[in-house]
Amino acid sequence: MMPPAPHRTPLLALHEVSKYFGAVEALVGVDLEVHAHEVVALVGDNGAGKSTLAQVVAGVLSTDAGQIEIDGEPVTLGSASAANRLGVASVFQDLAVCENLDVTANLFLGRELRNRVGLLHEGEMEVQTRELLERLTVRIPSVRTTLRQLSAGQRQAVAIARTLIGNPRIVVLDEPTAALSVAQTGEVLTHIQRLREMGLGVILISHNLNDVRAVADRIEVLRHGRNNGSFPATASHESILAAITGAA
Amino acid sequence: MNAIASVRDALTRNMRQSGILIAFVAIVVLFAALNDSFLSPGNLTNLVLQYSYILILAIGMVMVIIAGQIDLSVGSVVALSGAVSAAVVIREGMPWWAGVAAALLVGLLVGIWQGFWVAYVGIPGFIVTLAGMLLFRGLTFLVLDNRSLSPFGGTYYDIANGFLNGWLGGYGYDVFTLVIFGIAVVGYAVSQWRSRQGKIAYQQSVESLPMFALKLVVVAAVVMWFGYQLSTSRGLPVVLIILAVLIIAYTLVTQKSVFGRHIYAVGGNRHAAELSGVSVRKINFWVFVNMGVLASVAGVVFSSRMNGAQPSAGEMFELDAIAACFIGGASTTGGIGRVGGAMIGGLIMAVMSNGMQLMGVPQSMQQVIKGLVLLLAVAFDIWNKKRAAVAR
Ligand SMILES: Nc1ncnc2c1ncn2[C@@H]1O[C@H](COP(=O)(O)OP(=O)(O)O)[C@@H](O)[C@H]1O
Ligand SMILES: [Mg+2]
Repeated sequence: MMPPAPHRTPLLALHEVSKYFGAVEALVGVDLEVHAHEVVALVGDNGAGKSTLAQVVAGVLSTDAGQIEIDGEPVTLGSASAANRLGVASVFQDLAVCENLDVTANLFLGRELRNRVGLLHEGEMEVQTRELLERLTVRIPSVRTTLRQLSAGQRQAVAIARTLIGNPRIVVLDEPTAALSVAQTGEVLTHIQRLREMGLGVILISHNLNDVRAVADRIEVLRHGRNNGSFPATASHESILAAITGAA
Repeated sequence: MNAIASVRDALTRNMRQSGILIAFVAIVVLFAALNDSFLSPGNLTNLVLQYSYILILAIGMVMVIIAGQIDLSVGSVVALSGAVSAAVVIREGMPWWAGVAAALLVGLLVGIWQGFWVAYVGIPGFIVTLAGMLLFRGLTFLVLDNRSLSPFGGTYYDIANGFLNGWLGGYGYDVFTLVIFGIAVVGYAVSQWRSRQGKIAYQQSVESLPMFALKLVVVAAVVMWFGYQLSTSRGLPVVLIILAVLIIAYTLVTQKSVFGRHIYAVGGNRHAAELSGVSVRKINFWVFVNMGVLASVAGVVFSSRMNGAQPSAGEMFELDAIAACFIGGASTTGGIGRVGGAMIGGLIMAVMSNGMQLMGVPQSMQQVIKGLVLLLAVAFDIWNKKRAAVAR
C-alpha cells in the first residue's frame, strides 16, 4: 500500500460560497480548490455562474455566504485591489484593456512605476514589460504599440501579461479564448501553460471543452450555480458534457 | 522588434500629430503669401496677445475631453472670475494681486462644484457644465450689477498687455527677449538630448541621430526667428511667459505623470481603468477642478487685456477652446488628444481668424470657414481611424 499523499494546503480554497442577485441564485454552496502549479478549468453552460465566481475571487463581487481561504487563512476580498494585494489577479470576460494606451501603459495601469521625481518611469516599465512578454512568449511588434493596432489575440495576451505585474500567485481568466480564432486560441493556451510553469495557480473559465482539456489539470463543472462534478483532464468528453448539461 | 516595424509604428502613431503640424505650416505659408504684414513683428505680437486666453482654456479642455467629458461653462467662468477680480480691484480698491487671487479662488470653487456633480453624483459633464454656463453667467451679471467695470490699470493691466524688454539694451531689437528665447532653445535641446540618452539606456527606440539633429535645428530656427520678430517689436509679452510655463507644465502632467496616464485610461475604457484600481471619480473630479482653475487664469488674462470686466465677457470661448482640441486631434469619444495638439489646433484657429481679418474677409465668411475646418479635421480623424482598423 502507498502512504497517503501528504496533505497540501491549497493556494486558494472556496468553502460553501453563495452569491445571490435578488432572486437569482448565481452561486449556491460552491467549493473550489486551486493549488500552485495547477490549471483548474471551470466549465458550465451559459448562466452557470462562472463569471460570478471569477468576480468573487477577483474581489469585484462580495459573497453572501461561505468562506474564502488563501494559504489556509480566511480572507476578505473587499475590492479588486485588495484581492491584488493578496496575490489574486484577473482577466475579465469583456476585454479589460485600454485600447488607446500602449502595451506598457496597459501592463502597468494602476500600478505605475515612478522615478525619483515622482513621474512615470517609462524606461523601467518598458524593460519589465519586455521581460514579461518574453517569459509568456508573447509576440508583439513593440511594447509601445497602441492596443488598438493589435489583433484580438495579441490584446488578450497583453491582458494576461498584465496579471503578472506585482507577482500574483493566483490568476483568474474568464473566457480568454471566447473571441479568438483557432490560431490565436492556440497561442493563448500556450501562455496559460507558461503561467503554470511559473508556479501559479490558474482558474481557467471556458465553455469550450477542447481548449480546457488541452491545458487543464482538473476540470470542475458548475451547473445552476452549484458544483456538479470534478474530472481529471483525461476524463471523456461525454462524461463532462453530461455533467454540464445535467443529462447524467 | 525590427527597424522597419518601429519606424512604421512611430509614423502611424504620430500620423495625426504630424498631419496637424503640416496643416498649420501650410496655413501660415498661405497667409504669409497672401498678406505682407501677416508675419510682421507687430502682427505676430498681436496674435500672441489676442489668442492667449483661448490657448489657456484649450489646455484644460483637452484634458477634460481626453477624460471623455466636455466643459461648456468655461466662457462663463472667464466672465465670472474677471468680474470678481474687477469688483475686488476696481470697486474695492484692493491691490492687483488680491484680484488675481480672488479670480483663482472663484475658478477653484467652480471646479470643485462641477467636479462634485460629475464625479460624485454621476451627472454627465455635458449637463453639469451646460447648467454651469447659465449659472456662472447669471452670477457674473449679479456681481457686476449688469454694468461694466473698468479700468484696472497698473500692474493688473500689464498681465496681458505688458512686455519684458530693455533690461539688456539692444539696437533696434531687444537683447533680453533674444536671451530668453536662446535659453528656451538650449533648454529644449538639452532635455531632448537627455530623454534620448535615457531611452537608449533602456533600449527604447529613438529616431536616428541625423533625424534628431534636424528636428532640433528646425525647432531652434523657427523659435529663434519668432523670438527675433518679437524682439524687434515690443519685446517679450508677459502673457507669452505665462502660456509657455503652462504648456510645459501640462505637457509634463499629461504625458509623464501618473495622474495624466490615468486621465487617458478613464477616457479610453472607464471600466478597465476602474478594475485596474484607478479611481475614476477622483480623476473626473480633479480634471474639472483643474479646468475651473485654468478658466479663471484665462479670466484674469482676458479681463486684463480688456482692462475691465463686462457682463458678456468670454461668450463663445468654450466653442473656440473645444474646436482647438478637436482640430488638434482629440477624439470625440475620449482617450485621445494632446496638449501640444490642442495648442496647434488653437493656433490654427488664431492664425485663420487673424489672417482673414487682415485680408478683410467679412466676419460671416470667417465663421463659415472656421466651421468647415473643424468639420474636416474631425472627418479626417475618423477616416484615419477606419483606415487603421482595416489595416489591422
Ligand atoms: N450583476 C448581475 N445582476 C443580476 N443577475 C446577474 C448579474 N450577474 C450575473 N447574473 C445572473 O447570475 C447568473 C450567473 O451568471 P454568470 O456568472 O455570468 O454565468 P456564466 O458566466 O457562467 O455564463 C445568470 O443567471 C445571470 O443572469
Ligand atoms: Mg460568463
